[in-house]
Amino acid sequence: MATTRAFARLASRRAAVRPAAFLTRGFASVTESPTTSETVSPKASRGPISEKQTSTIKEPEPGKDAKIKTFHIYRWNPDEPTSKPKMQSYTLDLNKTGPMMLDALIRIKNEVDPTLTFRRSCREGICGSCAMNIDGVNTLACLCRIPTDTAKESRIYPLPHMYIVKDLVPDMTLFYKQYRSVKPYLQRTTAAPDGREFRQSKEERRKLDGLYECILCACCSTSCPSYWWNQEEYLGPAVLLQSYRWIADSRDEKTAERQDALNNSMSLYRCHTILNCSRTCPKGLNPALAIAEIKKSMAFT
Amino acid sequence: MASIMRPGLLRQACQAPAASQRMLSTFASSSVKQSSPFAQHMRPAFARSTIPKSTRIAAFHATQRQQILPPLPQRIEGTTNDPTPVPDPTPAHGSYHWTFERIVSAGLVPLTIAPFAAGSLNPVTDSILCALLVVHSHIGFESCIIDYFPKKRIPVIRNLAHWALRVATLTLGIALYSFETNDVGITEAVKRLWHA
Repeated sequence: MATTRAFARLASRRAAVRPAAFLTRGFASVTESPTTSETVSPKASRGPISEKQTSTIKEPEPGKDAKIKTFHIYRWNPDEPTSKPKMQSYTLDLNKTGPMMLDALIRIKNEVDPTLTFRRSCREGICGSCAMNIDGVNTLACLCRIPTDTAKESRIYPLPHMYIVKDLVPDMTLFYKQYRSVKPYLQRTTAAPDGREFRQSKEERRKLDGLYECILCACCSTSCPSYWWNQEEYLGPAVLLQSYRWIADSRDEKTAERQDALNNSMSLYRCHTILNCSRTCPKGLNPALAIAEIKKSMAFT
Repeated sequence: MASIMRPGLLRQACQAPAASQRMLSTFASSSVKQSSPFAQHMRPAFARSTIPKSTRIAAFHATQRQQILPPLPQRIEGTTNDPTPVPDPTPAHGSYHWTFERIVSAGLVPLTIAPFAAGSLNPVTDSILCALLVVHSHIGFESCIIDYFPKKRIPVIRNLAHWALRVATLTLGIALYSFETNDVGITEAVKRLWHA
């Protein structure tokens, strides 16, 4: 196996080599430049440069009895596409910093390093912009307290297995396109009986609790190994939760069509009930339960 | 074997060696790279020893990291405002498959326990257990193949894996059939192993 791979690579390399010197025309102005094949840009999945090899940016003016905590933050600049991503260390005085991770990030950006890039908007867990991987858990930076133990260093990465735009900003295009594909809006052809509103009983409304609160931060989807491997075809827990939110809605009349859209081997059934989604959800929702409900509703139809 | 073939290794080996290239060499230095492993072996032993060890050893440790399916550059189908394409409904691979899989899995539980709880051997339950085991393992491995061999990236390997799995399942089925008919049967075998 490894041998054939090596042979294939040798063959491909030979094919990429420029033609022999006597076949190429020499130009007077051309100097021998380093071959481009040698300056390969770093592999994206090799992991960032460790924080041990990068500098530490210190707290600007630590006060008396400062509680200095170290943050290692993933940095990558698209303006230097050939340079590797790196872990940049920052130290902050916790006495001057707010209680949440987002406060620390904002303070770094305001006072220490204005080039640090991240998404944030509401700073209270409503918008879902500041989703990132903090100390190994996908969560919202605005809902994640900074551990006060200053001996422990915090690590902040962007959401895993996403294409990165810059620093902590992942590219969410595919996620939103998938959300659009489940038609997240009320589909009805008949008018309401009294010509005014589409009414629900309290029980029908209660089915939507735990579903409508989802803010599409993508924490759950990016924590799901199935979504890591098959992002293009598997919809992921967040989008499936939204799909169930409309399947469960008593006012929606296209339930069968919605289920048909999921009825193939990839869209829904790549869920293997790993339950990382329910574990990581910063809003305390249960996407795995919603997916199980979809499977159950489709089981004997 | 494969490590010698790696181009990264050759590149490393072709870098300028620390020691003099001319020393006691009968080759013209331009014709053969002096520090390549082949040239190293062609040298007399005492000349070889003058080359710093690191240049010789490095060649055998400079293996490149092999990546399994590294991520491709991002490609977005259609505009950012188009939804991702929705596949056609195929219940045979979707809901029917899932329901069947769950029924098989749930059925295996009592079938595994029953012969030992009842203490009696019934060839019918034994054969049903065997058949369900074969189906169950086939579905499980098939799921692994679908998960880890993406159709778009490695269609040939995926097909090969599928066929290998089919052959393996068939072999297992035949083996279990002959074990059931010619030998003691799976329940009795487990029982004997348990008491052995």
